[in-house]
Amino acid sequence: MRSELNELYQIDCYLLRQLNEEDARAFEARLLLDDALAEKVDAQRTAHRLIRRYARREERCRLDTIYRLLLDEADFAHQIKTIFS
Amino acid sequence: MTQQTEDPIMCLYRDSFPDFARMIRRMGGSLEEAKDAFHDALLIYMEKQKAGKLHLHSSPKAYLLGTAKIRWLHARGTGVTFPLPDGFEAPQPEDEATEEREQSLLDSLVRSGRKCMQLLKAFYYDHCSMQDIALRFGFNGRRSATVQKHKCLEKVREEIRSTQAYA
Repeated sequence: MRSELNELYQIDCYLLRQLNEEDARAFEARLLLDDALAEKVDAQRTAHRLIRRYARREERCRLDTIYRLLLDEADFAHQIKTIFS
Repeated sequence: MTQQTEDPIMCLYRDSFPDFARMIRRMGGSLEEAKDAFHDALLIYMEKQKAGKLHLHSSPKAYLLGTAKIRWLHARGTGVTFPLPDGFEAPQPEDEATEEREQSLLDSLVRSGRKCMQLLKAFYYDHCSMQDIALRFGFNGRRSATVQKHKCLEKVREEIRSTQAYA
């Protein structure tokens, strides 16, 4: 794996709390001294947030689809209609 | 002939939603509110299950009804003090401008690389193994799937960095 990807992996381990205490402290010390690394860590943290946002959006679409499919079932649709009639 | 098994989330939905809708109706809520709160609760349930952090002390249905009720009360802003369930963090951008920027960045990332986003979702959100990801996305083994996952993450990260530089 080329070194950039290796660094990406190390940052992931830090962000996902997969480093042991000693390695995490060493990584944090590097962050204090290396602005470029700190900037990459920030961007990678945002990437994780965007992936989660994307994933939740996809899962909500899936739930909407399930709801529509269930409304095609006579028994389910009747129950919902009766509750809110 | 093999019988296709139904999506367990669909079964849970069919079994639980009418009872929740009835509860919300009794408390003066609408169908739309019931559906939104129920979907929030299902998301929490699925996320915990995928992360191996779902420790149920009751049935999945009871868990869902309880969580959905809390979500509904929160959405109504009725001043309730019930805490949100552990592990559910709504996206928390710092402000509205950041929210908009991230939304537009995400839209652009999906347009330019949907497969990458799906792969990253499979790893970071669905907690799939690299072996499963290799099979699902047609990679030649877990090693090449891992390299591709890193390349996708790098692409997203670089896009974020270039956007931040001009923000």
